[in-house]
Amino acid sequence: MNPLELTLGIMTAVGGFVDVSELVFAAKAGSTFGYALIWVFALGTVGIIVFSEMSGRVAAVAKQPVFNLMRHRLGLKLGLVTLLASMISNLITCAAEVGGVALILNYLTGAPYFLMAIVMVAVMIASIWILPFKWIERVYGLFGLFMLVFAAALVAIHPPWDKIAGGFVPQVPQGLSTKELLTFAYFSVAILSAVMFPYEVYFYSSGGIEEGWGPKDMLTNRVTSILGMSLGSMLAIAILSNSGQLFGPANVDPEIPGTAALQASIPFGRWGLILALLGMFFAIAGAAVETCLANAYGIAQFFGWNWGRHKKPWEAPRFTLTWMALFLLALLIVLTGVDVMMLVEFAILFSILVLPLTYLPLLLLAGDKKYMRGHANGPVAKALGWLYFAIISAAAVAALPLFVLTSGGNG
Amino acid sequence: MTPDSRIKLTSELLDLPILDSEDKYCGIVDDVEFAGSKHLRLKALLVGPGAYAGRMPGWMFWLVKTVAGDHMGRVPMDRIKTIGATVKLTCPGTELGLNRGETAAGRWIPHKAAM
Amino acid sequence: MGRTSLVLLALLAGCSRGPGQDLQYIKQARSIAAEWALVNEQAAAGRLTRTYVLSMHQWLADGLRTADQSLTQPDSPYGREIHTLLGEPEDAAPAELRAHAERLKQIEDQLESA
Repeated sequence: MNPLELTLGIMTAVGGFVDVSELVFAAKAGSTFGYALIWVFALGTVGIIVFSEMSGRVAAVAKQPVFNLMRHRLGLKLGLVTLLASMISNLITCAAEVGGVALILNYLTGAPYFLMAIVMVAVMIASIWILPFKWIERVYGLFGLFMLVFAAALVAIHPPWDKIAGGFVPQVPQGLSTKELLTFAYFSVAILSAVMFPYEVYFYSSGGIEEGWGPKDMLTNRVTSILGMSLGSMLAIAILSNSGQLFGPANVDPEIPGTAALQASIPFGRWGLILALLGMFFAIAGAAVETCLANAYGIAQFFGWNWGRHKKPWEAPRFTLTWMALFLLALLIVLTGVDVMMLVEFAILFSILVLPLTYLPLLLLAGDKKYMRGHANGPVAKALGWLYFAIISAAAVAALPLFVLTSGGNG
Repeated sequence: MTPDSRIKLTSELLDLPILDSEDKYCGIVDDVEFAGSKHLRLKALLVGPGAYAGRMPGWMFWLVKTVAGDHMGRVPMDRIKTIGATVKLTCPGTELGLNRGETAAGRWIPHKAAM
Repeated sequence: MGRTSLVLLALLAGCSRGPGQDLQYIKQARSIAAEWALVNEQAAAGRLTRTYVLSMHQWLADGLRTADQSLTQPDSPYGREIHTLLGEPEDAAPAELRAHAERLKQIEDQLESA
C-alpha cells in the first residue's frame, strides 16, 4: 500500500463526500432539530462505508462491474427495472448538482445562473474528456477540502461540545407534536438517502476497476472507505452543528444553499465566506461529475459496451456519448428553471426508493463465494449488510407517505 | 470448457464478456439459440439488445431500443474457442458483425486532447 | 389493503387546506426574513463580499415572491405580513427584518398548535 496514494485516496473521499443534498439537509436538520439528527448522519455513514467497501471488494476480486453482475444476478427484466430506476435517480441528482454549482458560481461572481449552468457543464465535460480517471477524482476531491473551513468554523464558534457528542446517541427529541415527529422522521429518511446515494456505490466500484484494483488492494479499499467516508461525514456533521448553533436560534431554516456559507463568514469574515463557497463549488461539481459518470457506467455495463475513463474517449465511444448526453439532459432540466431545492427534494425521494434495489444485488454478490472466492462477506459484513438492507427498505416504504404528509419536510 | 461440453446456461454462459481472436472486447452474451427438439444443443450465442425482443413487455423493449438500439449479432458455436470467465472467439469480432455500434458511435468522437 | 392506504393518505393530505396548507409558505417566508436579516447584518459588519450580498438578495426575494404567490389566503394576517415584507428595501435594517420573522413565527406556532 503506497502511503501517498492512500493519503490522496482518503483526502479525495473527504473532499468529495458532501454534495448539494447533504449540504442542504445538514443545514436544515441543524436549524430545525438542533443536534438531534447527528446520529442519523452517523448511521448513514456506517451504511455507506459497509456498501462502499463491499462494492470496492467486488470490483477488486470479481473484476467485473456492479451493473453487469447485477444483471446476471437479478435477470434481464428486474435488472432493467433497477437500471431504469437508478438512471432516473442519478439524472435528477446530477441536475440538482449542476443547478447547485451554477448557484455557487452566481454567489461568487454575480454571473447569471443559467449562463453559469451552461458554462459549468461545458467545463465538466472538458475535464472528464481531458483528464485521466485518477485526476478527475483528485482535482474535485482535493479542492473540495476547502470545505474544511466549516469544521474550523465550528471550533471557532465554541459550540456546546457535550450536546454535539450527545447527538451521536440515537434519540427522538421530547415534546414534539405529531407533525414535528413526522418531520423528524422525514429528515431521518432524507439524511439516510443523501448519505447513501446509489451513485456513490456505482462510482466507487467502477472507479476501482478504472484504477485496476485487485485482491492486493483490499486494505486500500477498506481504509479509504472507512477513513475517507468517516472524515467526510464529519464535515456534514460540522455543517449541521454550525446550523444548530447559529441558524436555529435566529429562526433561519436555510431556504437556499448560499445561506450555509454564512457559517464560515460569521467567525472568519470575507475569507471564510470565499473558502466556504469554493469548497461548496468543488464538492458539488465533483458530485455532478460522479453522478453523470455513475449513470453512464450503469448503462454501458448493463448493455455490454466498452466503458471507462481509463480508456481514451474514442476507445469507448458509446460510453463517451452517453455521459455527454446525460450531462446535457441534466443541463436541460436545470434550464427549465425548476428550483434547485425542489430538484434536491426529488433526488432524495427517488434515491431512497431505489436504494433497496441497488444494495440487495451488491449484498448478494459480495457474499457469493463463486465470484468472491476467499474474499466473500465475513460474519460482520453479512450482519451489517442485512441490517442496513432492512433499514433502507423500511426508509423506502416510509419515504413517500412522509414526503406527502410533511410537504417535503416543510411542515 | 469447450463448446461441446455440458454447460449451465444461466450461471456459466449468460452475461459473460466476449473477446475475439485479437483479444478485443465484443460485448456480452445476451441470449442463446438452440437447435434440435428432443435434445437441445446450443447453436449460437446472441449479442446485442435485439436479443431481448420477446423476453420483455413491448414498452420495456421500446425503452431499450431508444437507449441502446435493437441490433443483434450472432456467434455460431463453431466460432467459439473456449468458454470460461470469458467467451473466446476463433475470429475477429468484425467478421460476425459485433461491435458495429461502437464503430458507428466512434465516428462522432474526435481523437484529440485526452490524457 | 393498498387502496385503503391510498385513501387514508389522500384524506390526511386534504386535512391541511387553507391556513394549514399555507403553513409551509409561512415557514418559508419566516426563514427568508431571518436569512435576509443575517445577510444584511453580516454585510454591515464587512464580513461578506458585495457580489454575494447582491446575489443572496436576489434569490431570497425570488423565494419570498414564490411563497407570496402560493398562498391560498393572501388577505389573511400572515398574507399581509408577507406582502409587507416583500415591500422592504434590499438593505433593510436587520432589526426590522427580524421583527417580520418574529411575527411570522408567532403565527406559525399558533397554526401548529391548533
